[in-house]
Amino acid sequence: MVKSILFGGKAGQGPNILTQLIGEALVKQGYYVFYSRDYQSLIRGGHNFNVISFSRFLINSNESKVDLIVALDEKTREIHKNELKNGGMIISGDGKDKDNMYFAGALYRVLGFDFKLLQEQLKKLRRFDENLKHAKEGFEKEARNIKINTCKLKNHKYFMNGSQGICGGAIKSGLDIYFAYPMTPATPLLFELAPKQEENNFLVLELESEIAVMNAALGASITGAKAMIGTSGGGFDLMTEALSMAGMAEIPIVCYLASRPGPSTGVATYSGQGDLQFARYSGHGEFNRVILAPGDAVECEELTSQAFYFSQKFKVPAIILSDKHLAESFYTSTLIPKITKSEKSTNLGRYNSYEHADSGEASEDAEIIKQGVERREKNKKEIEKEAEKFEMFKIHGNKNSRNVIVSYGSCKGAILDSIKDLDVKFIQVLYIEPFPVKIKSELENAKKLVLVENSATGMLGDVIREKTGVEIKDKILRYDGRAFTSDELKIEIKKKLK
Amino acid sequence: MKNINTKTLPTWCPGCFNFQILAGVKNFLNKQIKNERDRENYAIVTGIGCASKIFDYVNLNGLNGLHGRVVPTCLGIKIGNPNLKVLGFAGDGDAYSEGVEHLVHACRYNSDFKYIVHNNQVFALTVGQPTAVSELGFVDKTTPAGVKINPLNPIKLVLASGATFVARVLADVKQVEWVLEEAAKHRGFAFIEVVQPCIIFHPDSDYKKHVYDLQESGHDKTDWKKAIERALEFDYNKLDDKTRIPMGIFYQKQEETFEEKFPALTRLKRAGKGWRDIKR
Ligand SMILES: Cc1ncc(C[n+]2csc(CCOP(=O)(O)OP(=O)(O)O)c2C)c(N)n1
Repeated sequence: MVKSILFGGKAGQGPNILTQLIGEALVKQGYYVFYSRDYQSLIRGGHNFNVISFSRFLINSNESKVDLIVALDEKTREIHKNELKNGGMIISGDGKDKDNMYFAGALYRVLGFDFKLLQEQLKKLRRFDENLKHAKEGFEKEARNIKINTCKLKNHKYFMNGSQGICGGAIKSGLDIYFAYPMTPATPLLFELAPKQEENNFLVLELESEIAVMNAALGASITGAKAMIGTSGGGFDLMTEALSMAGMAEIPIVCYLASRPGPSTGVATYSGQGDLQFARYSGHGEFNRVILAPGDAVECEELTSQAFYFSQKFKVPAIILSDKHLAESFYTSTLIPKITKSEKSTNLGRYNSYEHADSGEASEDAEIIKQGVERREKNKKEIEKEAEKFEMFKIHGNKNSRNVIVSYGSCKGAILDSIKDLDVKFIQVLYIEPFPVKIKSELENAKKLVLVENSATGMLGDVIREKTGVEIKDKILRYDGRAFTSDELKIEIKKKLK
Repeated sequence: MKNINTKTLPTWCPGCFNFQILAGVKNFLNKQIKNERDRENYAIVTGIGCASKIFDYVNLNGLNGLHGRVVPTCLGIKIGNPNLKVLGFAGDGDAYSEGVEHLVHACRYNSDFKYIVHNNQVFALTVGQPTAVSELGFVDKTTPAGVKINPLNPIKLVLASGATFVARVLADVKQVEWVLEEAAKHRGFAFIEVVQPCIIFHPDSDYKKHVYDLQESGHDKTDWKKAIERALEFDYNKLDDKTRIPMGIFYQKQEETFEEKFPALTRLKRAGKGWRDIKR
């Protein structure tokens, strides 16, 4: 059985530290834990909330209703009271402002956990004495508790979010330099990488603009360094001229594209998958690229290492597609990510943004133009062949079912959780470019075929039609900046399967 | 074997002042580069324009990159391998119109590369439109009523932005060679403007009659305020008989370089390596 806790409060009240603390405590008790963050684009005040869902079984999303509401401020009660399940409980300061550690103590009581564990956790934070005092107060004052199934201790390897997965994948792939200009939701990766530079001997640099970032990253890359950039849609827009140069000059570069909802500035701190086609078509002219779309934290780590592998081996840009829900949600896993090692492939030579001969000289000669195009086309074929050695898509759920759901990226979690007791096969696409055309037969065998996507148009459907000729008419789309919740998605899926 | 010549024949107009610049650059390189190893220690970056075609005529490793982006590309190469000696070349459209924001930041960063701007006060390769440094009243097919916006004064801009080496010379073999030698001795970012007429689209900017030599005039290049005063003597607008244009080194100051500010880069520098040589 899944239990959920909502932590709400003003920015600055520390709901994130509290959520992280309780999340880690649950993981220590052996539960699978998933939590997502909902926050506004402001620094102090407003209303932020996080939802933890935990279970004895693998869980990768939230439900729309919760068992507990932890109200760090009074507004939280008002905003979220309708999300409380029957028999649910609200923990609040009863009109008084309480420290976030007060609620940690109170929650330990409600969940029936040993206070000693909390004491251990607090040792890792600053202001130990003060925090302990508040936590004790909460633990003593709170008298209620909820029934949760006890859990056998599992060997959890990870409790991490997508950004931490990307970070781990990049470091394990031998990242030398990460260039960025801050833009949510790619910024959390900057936060992850920056403190790890010295220990792992790599560099994190913020330059004056995304244009500078991309051009400098390519400059570094031609010297043989493993370079990576990170941004969101607006910043990637500014990089696309240089992305196209990477295509022409054949320069390896790993790009982390964490999308946000909407065109232009869009919605900075919410989630959406509207940049799939942008990732495919950004930059002008015909050139090669690899686009990988992880769906949870472990896949973030694995596919980041594959992005380095492809970009180095074939000297192309490799884009890792992400969004806020993936970048900032925490996932629990018992799996050890499989890292694909990559060799540094590039030596300083003569590189050119003009069409050029093999030697690097610019040329307008018809024969040399043709040769350049054909060289890149040949490289494309080789990339496609190499990609077949990798898991380009995954099949989840009932593998023999003819009810087929297709999706990618951060929708994975809610889909997995919603189809647990349904007769459904879920095809998760990991490789967008090159595309696993093999899924064609899976799609053609389906009785019901449904696309699930966090966008208004269902772009993966368009890609699938382009690549396989199969048109998916049934779509479950969400485009309000929020991720799917498993219970609501389940209702939608059942409607489609009728 | 060292050879800094390429087989590509220049496509500049006969008599173009870019030939003067190219010859100065080659003279400088031929003195610096004694063998293949020396050659491999250099990198050249250019943008797009007539000026940037110099990439095709100098056989050094590097990148003929994007219009306006020479500066961040040079910076990236220095970050990738701080041991490389990096020369960036761009036209004035490239440097002052499309890519001017990078120039401001390059002055702040003080990364140890040399940036040579061929200033012919016109977009030459796109056949003659005005750039950010074309003078008031300049007329071309796209600006029949003449330029109405004041030109930028790049010397003033880079001095105000904190550049540690600021020089301007004429497009003359000897001057170009001399200024590159001076810049090579400078540790940090060097901004060099080479003023040239474009014989087709901006032939009037033959400033020879108006120039004087800063160094001969006794200018103190360590005095920033004096450098600003000299920079203001010429505003890149039309000349009259009294106009005097200072040439030479306006300013020079030794400051910590970008590469010296980051321990990871100083380690590479000390080891004579780039990131490529870091095995993990
Ligand atoms: C982003 C971009 N915009 C426009 C162009 C077209 N373009 C090519 S050369 C050039 C003008 C170059 O002028 P300048 O930099 O002054 O060099 P010059 O040709 O005068 O030496 C322009 C605008 C381009 N290549 N890239």
